[in-house]
Amino acid sequence: MADEKEVLNKRGVAGWINPYHYNLERWAYTFQRITGLSILLYVLGHIGDTSFFVGGPFGSGPSVASWSSDMAATENFLGNVILTMVVLVVVFHGINGIRLILSEYGLIFQKPARPDYPYKAKSLRALQRHLILVAIVAAIVASLWTGSILLG
Amino acid sequence: MKESRLMQVQYVTAIAAVVLVTLHLLMQGVLVPYYKAIDFQQVLLVYRSWVDGALLEILLVVVVVHGSKSLRTIPLEWRQSGPWTRGVNWASLLMTAGVVIYGTRTVVLAVTGVVS
Repeated sequence: MADEKEVLNKRGVAGWINPYHYNLERWAYTFQRITGLSILLYVLGHIGDTSFFVGGPFGSGPSVASWSSDMAATENFLGNVILTMVVLVVVFHGINGIRLILSEYGLIFQKPARPDYPYKAKSLRALQRHLILVAIVAAIVASLWTGSILLG
Repeated sequence: MKESRLMQVQYVTAIAAVVLVTLHLLMQGVLVPYYKAIDFQQVLLVYRSWVDGALLEILLVVVVVHGSKSLRTIPLEWRQSGPWTRGVNWASLLMTAGVVIYGTRTVVLAVTGVVS
């Protein structure tokens, strides 16, 4: 019985994306993690990609030919769509991350109060939700702008 | 290093990354037109400018430290034990060092290498 309960409580990675009983803050947490992993993946690729400016892993200095072939491989419709998506997730991750730091240091909390029905967390100020909405709107605007530059 | 100190590192690198990534994105399409920003001569100019080159190197370190520290959190949420934590810490440290060294190599070769 105890083991069964333990297994039920252990939702693992699937728990990140299980939307059952999620509120806005929980969704923000899930997206913060998903966008963080996406950005890390992109950063690793970008560091590898920019190394072709100096001829790649075995290069020895700035190479016009290597950079041109790299640009030919990445500067296309798919590459530009990926860059637009990167701006979307980077802007959301950055603004939501600032919200997390402010809440970690208690700067956007109210004093805790007695929980009354319907038991909404009273320490959460409206500013928390507003910052999440700002992160979503800013990310969409920034990605649309990037899309207009790269794909327009 | 204590977890509280690691979290401070996480927050400091986060704030620094917000500033530096904003600057990087502005220079790659707003302050400098995108088609010009990816031109070979322009990229070379950026690497060989002390300020821009240094900012790229700082951006590299800040983002990789922040990213690998964040990635470390996930396996530590899955399992907790002394050997597991030590293994994850070492893997995280090696990943950080490896990526920073490879990225720094690009910056150094771009600044000092002979153009071909």
